[in-house]
Amino acid sequence: MEDMAKIVFGAYALIILCGSILAVGAKSLVRAMVGLIATLLGVSGMYMLLNAQFLALMQILIYVGAVCVLIFFAIMLTRADSGGEEAESAPLRQNLLALTAVLSVGGILGWLVLTRPLATTGVPVEVSIEKLGLGLLGPYGLAFELISVVLLVSMAGAVLLAWERRNGK
Amino acid sequence: MSPLTLYQLVALILLMAGLFGISQRRSLVGMLISVELMLNGAGLSIVAASQLTPANAMLGQLGTLFVMGLAAAEATLVLAIIVVIARRFGTTKTSVVSTLKG
Repeated sequence: MEDMAKIVFGAYALIILCGSILAVGAKSLVRAMVGLIATLLGVSGMYMLLNAQFLALMQILIYVGAVCVLIFFAIMLTRADSGGEEAESAPLRQNLLALTAVLSVGGILGWLVLTRPLATTGVPVEVSIEKLGLGLLGPYGLAFELISVVLLVSMAGAVLLAWERRNGK
Repeated sequence: MSPLTLYQLVALILLMAGLFGISQRRSLVGMLISVELMLNGAGLSIVAASQLTPANAMLGQLGTLFVMGLAAAEATLVLAIIVVIARRFGTTKTSVVSTLKG
């Protein structure tokens, strides 16, 4: 059983790695989106492995179902793909600078993670959905209400920003 | 290597990919995709740290749920901003969209 978990973890990690490389490296934005979706599904599998089934379901519902569709709309509405904005590759200097930034941040964080391991229990704990719901309505009710306000405001703001007046300005 | 370290390394890979994308992409949609990658890495790291340590597991899962909600709100607003920019400039290249009014 332990070996099975390791194999599955490796498969998900491979999906995430390949997906994220495709998401940042693809010339076509639609292909980058396919990479992003693969990555999101891989992360959802990792939530499954961590015994957080509700989060895995929410990951698929919110990210793959809502956010990715939104980004596809953005690509479609701005005709970003046919313009070929990512078609010519970035200048070498920009690539080198980006690589330097990534390697410095990744190096520091990776060194910290590898040299200062936390004490783990080894087996992920299970939290039932009832407990999550009671938490949202009990001790963390304020955060729950605030995030609904944030979502409402962002939705209203998006409508206001993208509103197209019929008869001129 | 403990399982927690492995999960943290995967989250680090997501962060690094997102960081590379956001500094190298030249269209706003590409940068939005990179931001989503980074937010996912944050969520995975939070859940792994709360599920595999004696910390409060419920708090970790709720925190990741809030990260997802904020990511959805952020994607909505960025989509509207991208639409406005595309209407005004005719493109979403970051090199073109660099002028201020006045």
